[in-house]
Amino acid sequence: MLGKLIKYEQKATYKVLTIINFVIILLTLIGAFILNTNIFNNSESIPLAILLVIFYSLSLIAMGIIIVIYLYIRFYKNLFTAEGYLMHTLPVTPLQLFHSKLIVGYFWTFLNSLLMILSISTLGFVVGYHITKVEQLNFIEFFTENGIQLSEKESFAISFQKIFGYTPEGFVILLLILLIVSCFSSLLMGYLSILLGQLVEKYKLAASVGFYIVIYIVNQVISSFIMILPNLKFMISSIDNTEFFISDFYKNLLPLSIITQLLLGIIFYFMSVLLVQRKVNLD
Amino acid sequence: MTLLKCNNLTKTYGNVTALSNINLQIESGHIIGLLGPNGSGKTTLIKLIAGLLSPTSGSIYVQEKPLGTVSKSLISYLPDHSYLNDNWKVQDMIDFFEDFYKDFDSTRAYDMLEKLNINPSHKLKTFSKGTKEKVQLILVMSRRASIYILDEPIAGVDPAARDYILEIILSNYDENATLLISTHLISDIENILDEVIFIQNGTIHTHASVDDLRQKDHKSIDALFREVFKC
Repeated sequence: MLGKLIKYEQKATYKVLTIINFVIILLTLIGAFILNTNIFNNSESIPLAILLVIFYSLSLIAMGIIIVIYLYIRFYKNLFTAEGYLMHTLPVTPLQLFHSKLIVGYFWTFLNSLLMILSISTLGFVVGYHITKVEQLNFIEFFTENGIQLSEKESFAISFQKIFGYTPEGFVILLLILLIVSCFSSLLMGYLSILLGQLVEKYKLAASVGFYIVIYIVNQVISSFIMILPNLKFMISSIDNTEFFISDFYKNLLPLSIITQLLLGIIFYFMSVLLVQRKVNLD
Repeated sequence: MTLLKCNNLTKTYGNVTALSNINLQIESGHIIGLLGPNGSGKTTLIKLIAGLLSPTSGSIYVQEKPLGTVSKSLISYLPDHSYLNDNWKVQDMIDFFEDFYKDFDSTRAYDMLEKLNINPSHKLKTFSKGTKEKVQLILVMSRRASIYILDEPIAGVDPAARDYILEIILSNYDENATLLISTHLISDIENILDEVIFIQNGTIHTHASVDDLRQKDHKSIDALFREVFKC
């Protein structure tokens, strides 16, 4: 039955979500095209370039938010409004209903985040490619450690490691793991808020929004603490070695974020599982 | 085996008691009218049986088993409002029902749609409220369920279509199944009922066979209803 639920969940959501992801691909292609032209080579185009970068960044953020909100609304509408009368009278368990939404929602949020990272990376590579073309450098060397031989032009990889404390490949791998984990926790944060809202007798939707804000703040506070605490000793001891301090801070940032989001995701999951198995009370 | 049993069923919303201490036993093979004025607790009772509300106290058993996936596969429930995704075509809904309910007969559904001139390739949002109700009723009645629970099945349908809808209900109803119909429109369905349950202020006022009531009071069920629930 879970497979059937997933099939229909996918069927009900794929159109909107495909369009949003397609827009990201389109933005990337347009961005890559613009960056590969010479229109930014004169100083007069800088304001336009800044505007375009802002537009691109805001569009990506908006796409991410729209997808998550769409999935939250779908979860709420399909399970706790008129459509809930159909879903909750199907011969399936509440856990199967929940898991079908979680699996499909996770697929889309992960795909969306992956596309965003690919989009930013693509544009980064296009910029790099353009610089190497203008400066007559070797494109591959520019992005690898061998690029150090290019004397005054330090390679991208070396600069990256100096600043962030990771090799670009290591960074991408950790970022992917963070993505896998944070998509899970952020999706569950919304689902859990909606399920908590159902415990309230009146104004369930408003209560869900309230729970979301509270969980969001708690999440931010916990994440900040976990990230700041291990770095305190460096803040004290290496205060005069700024470069080392920054790279060390970034070095800890991703693994700690991964652990925090994983733990929160697990907590959100088990709380949601407990709540979803309670008997429903549809208005 | 008793088909449906409610033991000391109570449902409260805050300080308001919607149902109080309901004890009910329903056997197979009956058409039962659940009758009562607005706010008497009909829909609450139906939603409790369908598993859409949790009782404050008391218990419900379907074929002597507590509510769960087994009872949901035995109950075919029609709510008193639209519960289908408006963006779906009728044929999508038929596929959906066929996928989830083993007892769903799609041939029967398509036959009824044809008789009512409803195009299955149209999206639900293109239909009027009455047509949507017909589609829902067709879906619900195309199952071979043990209990059909219909909450106001003819309320939004024009009088001309009511007879046909009642015909749909009767022609698709298996003799071993039980039909629980909640309605205000008693005169329209009076002739098909075997039993009635009068519900008033969250309690059962009367649960008796239609023949017994008619013999005892020498009145139609409609007249009796008007007398019992006189404002």
